[in-house]
Amino acid sequence: MNELLRRLNYLWNRRRFDRELASDLEFHREMAAHEGGMPLGNALHLREEARDAWGWTWIERFSQDLRYAARILRKSPGFTLAAVLMLALGIGVNVAVFGFFNLMFLRALPVRDPDTLLRFDRRAADSFSNDLPYPEMAFFCDHSKTISAFLALNPAKLATEGQEKPLTAHFVTANFFSELGASAKLGRALDPARDGASDAEPVVVLSHGFWQRHFGADPLVVGKTIRLNGRPATVIGVAADEFTGLSMDTPDLWLPLNQQPYLVTGSLLLTDLSADGPGVRVWGRLQPGFTPKVAEGELKTLAAELRQQHPKDIWENESLHSQPGGYAPSLMEGDRRGSGPEPPDEAYFIFGLLAALGLLILAVACGNLGSLLLARGVAREREIAIRVSVGAGKGRLIRQLFTESLLLALLGSVAGLGAGYFVLRVLMQFTEAPAWLNPAPDWRVAVFAIGAGFVAAILFGLTPALQVARQRHRATILRQFLIGAQVAASCVLLIVAGLLVRAIDHGITTQPGFEYERVISIDPALGSHGYSPESARAYFDSLQNRLRNLSGVESVALSDTSPLGNRTSSAGIDMDGRRVEILINRVDPAFFQTMRIPLLRGRNLTFGDTRAIIISESLARRAWPSADPLGKKFTLDGDYTVVGVSGSARLVRLEDPEMVQAYFLARAADLPSMVLLVKTAAPPESLAPVLASMARALDPKIFPDVSMLKSSFRRKMQGTERGAVAVSLLGFTALLLACLGIVGLVAYSVAQRTKEIGLRMALGAKPSQVLFVVLRQFSRPVGAGLLVGVGGAAALSQILRRELYGISNLDPLTYAAAIAIFVVTVVLAALLPARRALRIDPMRALRCD
Amino acid sequence: MPRNEMPSGALVLLILRVLRSGALHGYAIAQRIHSLSSDVLRVEEGALYPALQRILLKGWVTSEWGISETNRKVRFYRLTPAGRKQLEAELSDYHRVHQAIQSVLHTA
Repeated sequence: MNELLRRLNYLWNRRRFDRELASDLEFHREMAAHEGGMPLGNALHLREEARDAWGWTWIERFSQDLRYAARILRKSPGFTLAAVLMLALGIGVNVAVFGFFNLMFLRALPVRDPDTLLRFDRRAADSFSNDLPYPEMAFFCDHSKTISAFLALNPAKLATEGQEKPLTAHFVTANFFSELGASAKLGRALDPARDGASDAEPVVVLSHGFWQRHFGADPLVVGKTIRLNGRPATVIGVAADEFTGLSMDTPDLWLPLNQQPYLVTGSLLLTDLSADGPGVRVWGRLQPGFTPKVAEGELKTLAAELRQQHPKDIWENESLHSQPGGYAPSLMEGDRRGSGPEPPDEAYFIFGLLAALGLLILAVACGNLGSLLLARGVAREREIAIRVSVGAGKGRLIRQLFTESLLLALLGSVAGLGAGYFVLRVLMQFTEAPAWLNPAPDWRVAVFAIGAGFVAAILFGLTPALQVARQRHRATILRQFLIGAQVAASCVLLIVAGLLVRAIDHGITTQPGFEYERVISIDPALGSHGYSPESARAYFDSLQNRLRNLSGVESVALSDTSPLGNRTSSAGIDMDGRRVEILINRVDPAFFQTMRIPLLRGRNLTFGDTRAIIISESLARRAWPSADPLGKKFTLDGDYTVVGVSGSARLVRLEDPEMVQAYFLARAADLPSMVLLVKTAAPPESLAPVLASMARALDPKIFPDVSMLKSSFRRKMQGTERGAVAVSLLGFTALLLACLGIVGLVAYSVAQRTKEIGLRMALGAKPSQVLFVVLRQFSRPVGAGLLVGVGGAAALSQILRRELYGISNLDPLTYAAAIAIFVVTVVLAALLPARRALRIDPMRALRCD
Repeated sequence: MPRNEMPSGALVLLILRVLRSGALHGYAIAQRIHSLSSDVLRVEEGALYPALQRILLKGWVTSEWGISETNRKVRFYRLTPAGRKQLEAELSDYHRVHQAIQSVLHTA
């Protein structure tokens, strides 16, 4: 038995050992008395000292303190409730933010060995793409020694009979299910041995949700044939409920990638290596013993090898950039391609902002609670004095007071954990997040909540404990400082929230700069059906001719990106040191008229304008702030001449008025990937199905995606509005906390000065004078706090500038409104308890001690 | 009277030494040290019992119940093999230091 075990034995059996020790000492005294000696010292004290040797005294003291703290808190339920509520708010906000971060970045996807999965993007000096041509991936698959398996995914929409909306389908490599460790609920999943060959039977795996919605959870669905894009495919299984594939939204169907050309007639997906062609999202399973860096290095070498054979298709110095593939961020990047380096991810910035706001709220809560504890010190003067007089040392007192704070913090942590979970759950339901993003707190969130509580306890509990134990709590400096600090922090929060809300509101209420109410987009995805530029030209020509003759159609245009769509094409260029992301649109001359985007200066594009460019007014302002942009050279992949300036239109990000666009005349090569935009004279609901059937009739092999721009518009708007709601909730939480703090402080100050107020009233003070006396002491710290808060907000909002979309970070209206709201609510909150001072009966007040 | 008349390390050494010849109860330990030192060293309760607790924790002695000369049930402390080894080590340390000090005192 070593020393630690013996020590634990003493802890466990400490009652028995204590009895034995007592008996030893008693016997010692008996013997000493028997032989005429004088027993010395206090027996209890001696025993305690001997027991010290066991090393467990601190636990006893701590549990003593804890019991005492629990008793104290139970005795003042009002204070305890207010304190726990404040802490629950402060910690809960942070738990929610951290919980979301945990969900997104720290918690792995529900797949096998998520840590060895990598997601690959293509990068080169002046180009990037989030997807790869399938043949490039196949080349890597054949030659890589660091990656044991490649998984590819190509999302598509497939038409089926009896369904107006096309089904979402993911064409995946046959190893998709086995590599991700997914099993089938019914039948079987895809199997590389049976479904991997190019001459295999066309098969389909249903998602659990689709099986329930479309087949009523029919257990006999396996073996049935469904027709997709008019071609039969056999259902071989239903995926397990929790399997979502590598995607945030579970698709309806999974099909083997090698069936893609069979179902999408004419598709070149499996053979086209060109960078403009179709692509697949690629994940790789890292071979044990290799790091992602080594794999990147190998793939770079392989890419260079492939470039020897296909110098036009593989970029110069192309590298494959990897990111962890088993985590949510790898699913959320859209199919982005563009020139220039890839624009930075904004997710971390947003989290940083939320975390900063959350910490400010926690700071406000701590400031509040700290001044409440100080005020309580006044009420506990007698108790503290008694404890000092019976021999409690300063250290012991501080420990005791801080234990109370720790207990409060622990209660607050638990309540905050609950509050954070609740907020996150509501948020998830609100945004229709996929079910596997489970907001229930895991050990990381729990540890975070306890840690936040501990930090909070140090922030709000330590200084008051020191002050109270030293009987210095009447010193007003610290209290005034705490009031000032919390006013400053709440003020910062309110102003920042106000700025964000105003920016979002500004984005929503100003016109997006283009027509969306009466435009229908038709995306036939000709390229994925193997249309050549010539046949695409013929298709669009005949479709446009038919549409123009349709009554209710005002104009028709072509564009290579659908407004408010997910596919974007951008070019990043440097303008006076700042990187500007230009949205590239390749359009035909009717585009501006159809989308109702005004041409402010110059002329429209005309056929044959291969070197002409129209830039948006926002881009013109950036590029040539003082000069006339017309006739200027604009260099992207070549030199272009600016022939016109159009109105600014927020075609992609509705909330961003600083978005800049450039328009080129579409080249013949762009035609297979273009969409048709139709401006209707009346609301487009009735016309949409007509257009769909007309487009469908033109080529039965093709199943065009017809949608109204206004539905996309509403969808995008919802997300933005939710952001505004979340931010204003944060602001109001801060305001609420500040009010709670002020109410508590004023109430205490009234209680503490009852006698003085009674005296003043007896001497004939008017109610307004009494109120003035009560509230005067708060005016200076509140004023100072406001000043500091405004300064802090001005500084902090500097880094917010790019999220503010055209609102100045010093927007006077926001500052004035935030300060006004703050002052009015705080004064009202202060008056509530202050009125109690007016009801004091002078006679009674003077008699009480 | 200052409670720590002798350094606690010396007290441990003395306790171990008087226990070498057999188990004793606490009071007897104090008495034995007192009489063997010709009434020079007094061991107070306040020093003896904390030291005994420390030695127990170290595992150098064990305690067992026995009957005192006054017919009372008391704890007797007995040296363990580990305690014996510790005693030898401390004794030889002590002798070495003692001799060194002696030689300095004699020659200086």
